[in-house]
Amino acid sequence: MSQSLRPYLQCVRSSLTAALAISNFASQTSERHNVPEVEAASSPELILNPLHISRNENEKVLIEPSVNSVRISISIKQADEIEQILVHKFDRFLTQRAESFFILRRKPVKGYDISFLITNTHTEMLLKHKLVDFVIQFMEDVDKEVSELKLFLNARARFVAESFLTPFD
Amino acid sequence: MLLLDYQNALIQSLLTERFSGATPVSIDQVVSDFDGVTFHLSTPESKSKILISINVKCFKELVQYGAQDVLEREYGPYIVNPEPGYDFSVQVDLDNLPAEQEARDDLVMKLALLKRNAMAAPFERAFDEFTKLAEEASQYTSESAPQGLQEGGQVMAIHYREEEAIYIKANSDRVTVIFSTVFREETDRIFGKVFLQEFVDARRRVLTLQNAPQVLFRSDPPLELQGVPGLTKAGEGAMSYVTFVLFPRHLTPQRRYESISHIQTFRDYFHYHIKASKAYIHTRMRKRTADFLQVLNRARPENEDRERKTASGRTFRVQA
Repeated sequence: MSQSLRPYLQCVRSSLTAALAISNFASQTSERHNVPEVEAASSPELILNPLHISRNENEKVLIEPSVNSVRISISIKQADEIEQILVHKFDRFLTQRAESFFILRRKPVKGYDISFLITNTHTEMLLKHKLVDFVIQFMEDVDKEVSELKLFLNARARFVAESFLTPFD
Repeated sequence: MLLLDYQNALIQSLLTERFSGATPVSIDQVVSDFDGVTFHLSTPESKSKILISINVKCFKELVQYGAQDVLEREYGPYIVNPEPGYDFSVQVDLDNLPAEQEARDDLVMKLALLKRNAMAAPFERAFDEFTKLAEEASQYTSESAPQGLQEGGQVMAIHYREEEAIYIKANSDRVTVIFSTVFREETDRIFGKVFLQEFVDARRRVLTLQNAPQVLFRSDPPLELQGVPGLTKAGEGAMSYVTFVLFPRHLTPQRRYESISHIQTFRDYFHYHIKASKAYIHTRMRKRTADFLQVLNRARPENEDRERKTASGRTFRVQA
């Protein structure tokens, strides 16, 4: 792990752990409803200050806490066209499986590549620290995978080009 | 399976089986090949006479560049009148095959190379033209050569697919082959760019490839194609032009057969590898997504439905 990545992930980890102090909270505006307040945004007093953590202008995390839910949006590094394509494909892969990735939001928040929504049901049902672990590992692995795929593509292209040109020699 | 074969594998295996001396059966099979080429193998008269017909989209253009002569040279005695709906037909009589196994294999190979031979005509013409121009040019120094000689021959266009074409042009010191290729998707376009860049760089980077043809690519029509009708204007993005510059060493009589076969496969080879990389990336992402899911599932606390026992070994049961 590079030197600048470690504090970035450490910061996300502690901010996220702190933000996940959520509890059951029924809707104040409609009776017998219980909705994630960060999504509904119906009562401003239930929403806490959103938090930006940026490593650089391309890699950043937005944590939006509220009384009963937390929304985490991640922007993944995309240095060139190939990385853009790869990240986009990856996002599609994940969001199409949102059903089994119960904390994944089907649509990312505007300006970000992928969003998670953790509600109080999730934290009650699941181990909170493991959820945080997942988010951190996700951030680590996505970068790794994208750069590996990019290297693979270049290596393959090189090999393919050389094999085509060799018979001419 | 890195490089594509020049012959059609299905025709090859089918004919090898028929030629091996098995009892004749009736055949009626349509075989497709790259670039929308279709073959029809049938036994219309009797079971021992196999008719092989080919349909090429750009056959008219090929005939214009001398395809008929090339095909007559290759298939002379086997040619019959073209089957309706097809451009060219040959017929082999199973009772009248060459006796030696080797000659039979050669014949099978020749028939499986029908597409290659049909497409080879403009290349052969360009290579001949190059020889002629080179001879003429050798009489002049580079300054005194007449204008027409420097400019080289006519551009021959073969529109072998809906939107894509091959352009061939002979000069006194080289033959230029230009492929125009279309990318249907944004992903293909970007992957294509990566691949083409490697084609361009390969010659510079690898010492053993110093003698390979020079490869260039750009997204607007190259200067060689000035004045050729039906070109897509620059800036539309989806079109790429890939130029191969064949040098005299690729055009010698010993090398030309191989060079023609090989350069014909470029487009299919190129697109095949783009698709293959996409497929690989796809499987890999699928696997990675499954890994992520596993990590997430670790967050689920393990259920405690072990049977609980007292110290003496008796079990509790919750009354329903």
